[in-house]
Amino acid sequence: MLKVEGLSVRADAVELVRDVSFEIGPGERVGLIGESGSGKSLTALSLMGLLPEGVTASGGASLDGRDLVGVPEKRLKRLRGRDLSMVFQEPMTALNPLMRIGAQVAEVMTLHGTAGRQAHARAYELLERVRLPEPRQIARAYPHQLSGGQRQRVMLAIALANEPQLLICDEPTTALDVTVQKQMLDLIAEVAPALLFITHDLAVVASVCERVLVMYGGRLVESGPIREVFARPRHRYTEGLLAASKLTPRGTRLPTIQGSVPAAGHFPGGCVFRNRCPHATPDCETAPALTGDGHAYACWHPAD
Amino acid sequence: MPTHAGTPLIDARNLTRVYRRPRTSLTKQGAAVHALNDVSLTIGRGERYGIVGESGSGKSTLLRLLCALDQPTSGTITFDGRQITGRPERSLRFLRENLQIVFQDPMSSLDPRMRVRDLVAEPLVALGLPVGNRVAELLDEVGLPAAAADRYPHQFSGGQRQRIAIARALAPRPAVLVADEPVSALDVSVRGQILNLLADLVDELGLTLVFVSHDLSVVRHVCETVAVMSQGEIVETGPVDEVWAAPAHPYTRTLLQAVPTLEGLL
Repeated sequence: MLKVEGLSVRADAVELVRDVSFEIGPGERVGLIGESGSGKSLTALSLMGLLPEGVTASGGASLDGRDLVGVPEKRLKRLRGRDLSMVFQEPMTALNPLMRIGAQVAEVMTLHGTAGRQAHARAYELLERVRLPEPRQIARAYPHQLSGGQRQRVMLAIALANEPQLLICDEPTTALDVTVQKQMLDLIAEVAPALLFITHDLAVVASVCERVLVMYGGRLVESGPIREVFARPRHRYTEGLLAASKLTPRGTRLPTIQGSVPAAGHFPGGCVFRNRCPHATPDCETAPALTGDGHAYACWHPAD
Repeated sequence: MPTHAGTPLIDARNLTRVYRRPRTSLTKQGAAVHALNDVSLTIGRGERYGIVGESGSGKSTLLRLLCALDQPTSGTITFDGRQITGRPERSLRFLRENLQIVFQDPMSSLDPRMRVRDLVAEPLVALGLPVGNRVAELLDEVGLPAAAADRYPHQFSGGQRQRIAIARALAPRPAVLVADEPVSALDVSVRGQILNLLADLVDELGLTLVFVSHDLSVVRHVCETVAVMSQGEIVETGPVDEVWAAPAHPYTRTLLQAVPTLEGLL
């Protein structure tokens, strides 16, 4: 359904995302994980056609045969919010502070041709569907009157309004408390048609998705069924990231990845992870391709 | 630092802090918010004490009181046998020398216009202590090259900035290090580096650590004792392994169940 082929994103001379390819089938829930600066959010924004000014995407991406990259804004506008929609990390900045919740939920439907009265009626249903208590009262409220968790539910209601084929969530629960996060994750897993879920939290992705894509330095370094990738990571970065995510008992050393994530444009040539990789050899100066069927990885010296 | 053996290092009794919401009427006062409600705790010398809670639980208010950055509405805190509540700032020098803080976001806690050398030396200058070689020593202790002293915060990554913040906190040789969510703004791959560093420093320097976090699993790795906060109260406290294995309070159970884990998968 969603088909991404050789997607690259660049800002002037700096390549921020390079040659990313993946697919998402109907009903599939796919996680995209990576640390800050890995290019995961840019990948999502380029699919939505929402890249900041001065940042451009090239390569191919299509949803059900309709191109998403390199097409005029006019055509994207018809798809965005209807066939694919997105939930952002910070609901306070994504919602209009001067508009009542109900009107904001209805707006995305009227923009795509639903009649005003119908849209408002459906807004209540949507608010109910994302399990907001007293949907009629919430519809009259302004964003600042809601809690962070409630605002994020409103964002989800807006995203679901036109029954999209694909829902993209970018760190939707990072700003939330853990107990609220759990409710939100359960809800997303339940209502998402097909899902691209972006996060830096491996445990979160494991609780929502079936398949995972691991990004580092703007490249896809590993992908596959989540259980397989997490139980038996092949790329050395995935291996290190998983090890670093486990908190060992007190008094023991935590496993770490040496150094820190380089700034954009300062990743090494060849394998992007080689300056932090304990297994790097001169071979790694040549970029490895992402290979493998089902469980794929881009590493010259994969873990066993 | 003078020691009063036998007494706890930090002893907080019946702390209550009431804030007033901004008034919405000319004739009435704003509503009162009980941010902290009758909270008592004791922290022993050399203890690693974790405070866990979600936003709005009162953990930041408690922390501000323990650091004497704010005063309680009622209740008292003693530090090494000396009361720190109800005292003017000028007579809190003993506390400022002995208790230092590392904040959550190293980008906003480090002045972007100061060089690392001046940032790290600032507590010494403020307290009128000799600077001497101390900056180089501290940078070495936190694993930064000596050349870092001449650079500005923006030239460092998040993890390195947190190292700078730790170096600054250690400058006056405090007895207590208070860390407020020190790793929540960091990437997973560097989180371990900072937690390892904190553990090493606490061991080497014999520090008492007060560690605030929303993440009970991080606290379990770092601390011996934990206090779980909810709605302005400590709902459960005890050795962290016991609280983790057999949470007594329903809220702690909810909190534990809500934390997503990788364990089932690996």
